[in-house]
Amino acid sequence: MRFGETETDGGRDILRAAEVTSDPLLRRLYLVHAIDELRHGAMFRQRAASLLRALRSSSKPMFRADWLAPGGHGVDDLEVDGESDHSMLAFLHLSEKAAASRFTVYREVLRDDPSTYAVFDEILHDETFHMNYTLTQLARISPQHHRRHIWRARLSRLWKAYLRVASALAGVIGTLLMTGQYFVLMPPFAWLAKRAARQERPGWTAVAPDARDSLTRQY
Amino acid sequence: MHAIRSRGSIDADRMNILGISAHYHDSAAALVIDGVPVSAVQEERLSRRKNDAAFPLLAIEWCLEHAGLEPEDLDAVVFYERPMLKFDRILTCALRAFPRSWRTFPEAMKSSLGDKVWVRGTISSYLGVPARKILFTRHHQSHAAAAFLAAPTDRAAILTTDGVGEWATLTVGHGTRRTNGGGTTITLPREVRFPHSLGMLYSAFTAYLGFAINEDEYKVMGLAGYGRPTVVDKVRRLIHQTADGAFALDLDYFEFHSTATRSYSSRFIDLFGPPRPAYEPIDLSSADGRRFADCAASVQCVLEDTLVTLARSLHEETGLSDLCLGGGVALNGLANARILTESGFSRVFVPPAPGDAGCALGAALYADRIHFDGPDRHIPDHPFWGPSVDGVELARLASEDGHLVDRCEDEDVLIRQTADDLTAGRVVGWMDGALELGPRALGHRSILASATGTEMRDRLNREVKFRDEFRPFAPVVPIEAADRYFELPAGGARLARFMSAVFRVRPEWRTALGAITHVDGTTRLQALDREMAPRLYALLQAYGRRTGVPVLLNTSFNLSGEPIVNRAVEGYSTFLRCGIDVLVAGQTRVMKKVSGASRE
Repeated sequence: MRFGETETDGGRDILRAAEVTSDPLLRRLYLVHAIDELRHGAMFRQRAASLLRALRSSSKPMFRADWLAPGGHGVDDLEVDGESDHSMLAFLHLSEKAAASRFTVYREVLRDDPSTYAVFDEILHDETFHMNYTLTQLARISPQHHRRHIWRARLSRLWKAYLRVASALAGVIGTLLMTGQYFVLMPPFAWLAKRAARQERPGWTAVAPDARDSLTRQY
Repeated sequence: MHAIRSRGSIDADRMNILGISAHYHDSAAALVIDGVPVSAVQEERLSRRKNDAAFPLLAIEWCLEHAGLEPEDLDAVVFYERPMLKFDRILTCALRAFPRSWRTFPEAMKSSLGDKVWVRGTISSYLGVPARKILFTRHHQSHAAAAFLAAPTDRAAILTTDGVGEWATLTVGHGTRRTNGGGTTITLPREVRFPHSLGMLYSAFTAYLGFAINEDEYKVMGLAGYGRPTVVDKVRRLIHQTADGAFALDLDYFEFHSTATRSYSSRFIDLFGPPRPAYEPIDLSSADGRRFADCAASVQCVLEDTLVTLARSLHEETGLSDLCLGGGVALNGLANARILTESGFSRVFVPPAPGDAGCALGAALYADRIHFDGPDRHIPDHPFWGPSVDGVELARLASEDGHLVDRCEDEDVLIRQTADDLTAGRVVGWMDGALELGPRALGHRSILASATGTEMRDRLNREVKFRDEFRPFAPVVPIEAADRYFELPAGGARLARFMSAVFRVRPEWRTALGAITHVDGTTRLQALDREMAPRLYALLQAYGRRTGVPVLLNTSFNLSGEPIVNRAVEGYSTFLRCGIDVLVAGQTRVMKKVSGASRE
């Protein structure tokens, strides 16, 4: 299901790239790419639904450490509207390359599951095309500097990976601090809040006229 | 007031007020100059992220640019709710649910304290306006203002209802406009408070039925048509009328007030059975599929009954003949139709954007009329406040890709050609003028098709919209002809102006209009006034002359999971990715001839 989400999100990003580029050839290629990604999303979702039906397992949220994974093309920190064609192509090339290498591993691991194997196999075929066209087009629009753009994209991915890890770490620390405060500081306030709640009667609440007076108040 | 000196010959003092809604779902910006809206747009239409809740910088930029203003030209920026009051509710609910809320508390605090409570600072830093110019309406005041101040009525009762604002989930009151200047009032003396909420009740069922909360509530309404209200008694265990005429939820059946992970409790599941997994398609021929449809029909019935009771009581209390409905629940067209026919009000007004996006406009209007005591102004009665489409851009894009492009400078020729396309069974992407504000495509960003036969409905679901087969489509019809095909009660045409109500298709037309007739014989029609969308009106007339029935299927111009298209390029990319045959934007008409993209 999460692969499906990532592919679909990536498809929408690439669709946006097709809408903002001024290069007609790139627009057509991006569109093919976006359609592929959206189709991959649907394929992953269908397969996941079949597996879930077979397993009859619930889809409870689980610990999700995707901030450790290399950035895919579905990352939400990609601001397509602000990207130039060459940085977009370099970014996509590296993302597709990373995805292709991961999907190769998944495909091999899933040899015992022919249906899921077939999904990865078909997607891998498309990813190879995506990886190749992005490099070819980057070389076309920036023949002198395309390697430099790829290196920049690599550094950018490293920086984004650092940001992901850092923000996830900050999130964990924040959660621990808040949870600590919750159990240490909140109990007396919770008791007061519950007591107040018991005194509330459901139904209409009259609104005091002064509550509507000033628009300068945030409270 | 700020003097606009750079507007050519205009050198008068003007009041420029920017309204903003953000941070929860469907953020938007709206600009009101001298009491009249000049622009309003949802952030999702520009960012291309469905239900984008981010601070609406793109929407603000567009609104200001459209009016030729800089942020320093603004006299006030009005946020659509009071962030600290909302934080008060979130914190209080977490405390009341102690210790069950230990998982949600850190996330809620990080989210609120991270940015949502610092709205004044956020606006000030983004726009560079001084903090004293930043104002805050209450969430339901914004809903009420959007519903009442934009409606063509001088005095009306007001009823707003949604999931939750700050504390209020439903408010009642009345409004008065004085055409001789000043003295506009909106009074909301009573409210129902969280967690007792009709919106949350409906959302709990939305989640239970495997749909996305705050997004797919309309799917529950569509599914209700396939079911029978067999479990109404069970739903009534969840909600009861209080002695004072309001309502209360039995909170043992819900968890939305104590956790963020689930809306309903285990008792709810004990009562209604296992929920539908989101990944399972709804099979209406199976027992489970029928059970889900019956649940949808039952909650729909209870929602309607509750709203009708509240509206009837409000009518008796105010003695007014007009009612303005606001809030997300006012998107429920079945309930609106019943309110019109059963509550005693002669006219019911629902704005085109009754949800949170419309609050941006409501907040700005409220500040103008109430806070600054501005004179009442006539507000154009249409939803077209967004960016305009550029047909030349479409012609360039389509030519580059080798599609058949017509630039029809003669309007009549374009209308005739498009009517011919529709008569021949082609699906037309229709982009005309300024973008609509709100979730409905009302004739400027629409996919149009013949309303005849169920084959067209199935084709659109399968090849164009890529969505569930149980989802119905809506028709558009000239207002003068609406009564011929649809059973409109008195006041029904007004509700149908912005597709705000569901009415019955006349039995003799149900087969002929199979593509837009829902399984229960109803449809959410748009009765089109010539002045509101003259080109679409002309197209309906031309189509009517060819087929004898001036009714077209009108669905929003977007694909599943995407926002409605805004610019020509977005319409064009949608056109290439689905089974739309013809695309019209402005004076440009494009026919799909060859694949727009290939791997070679």
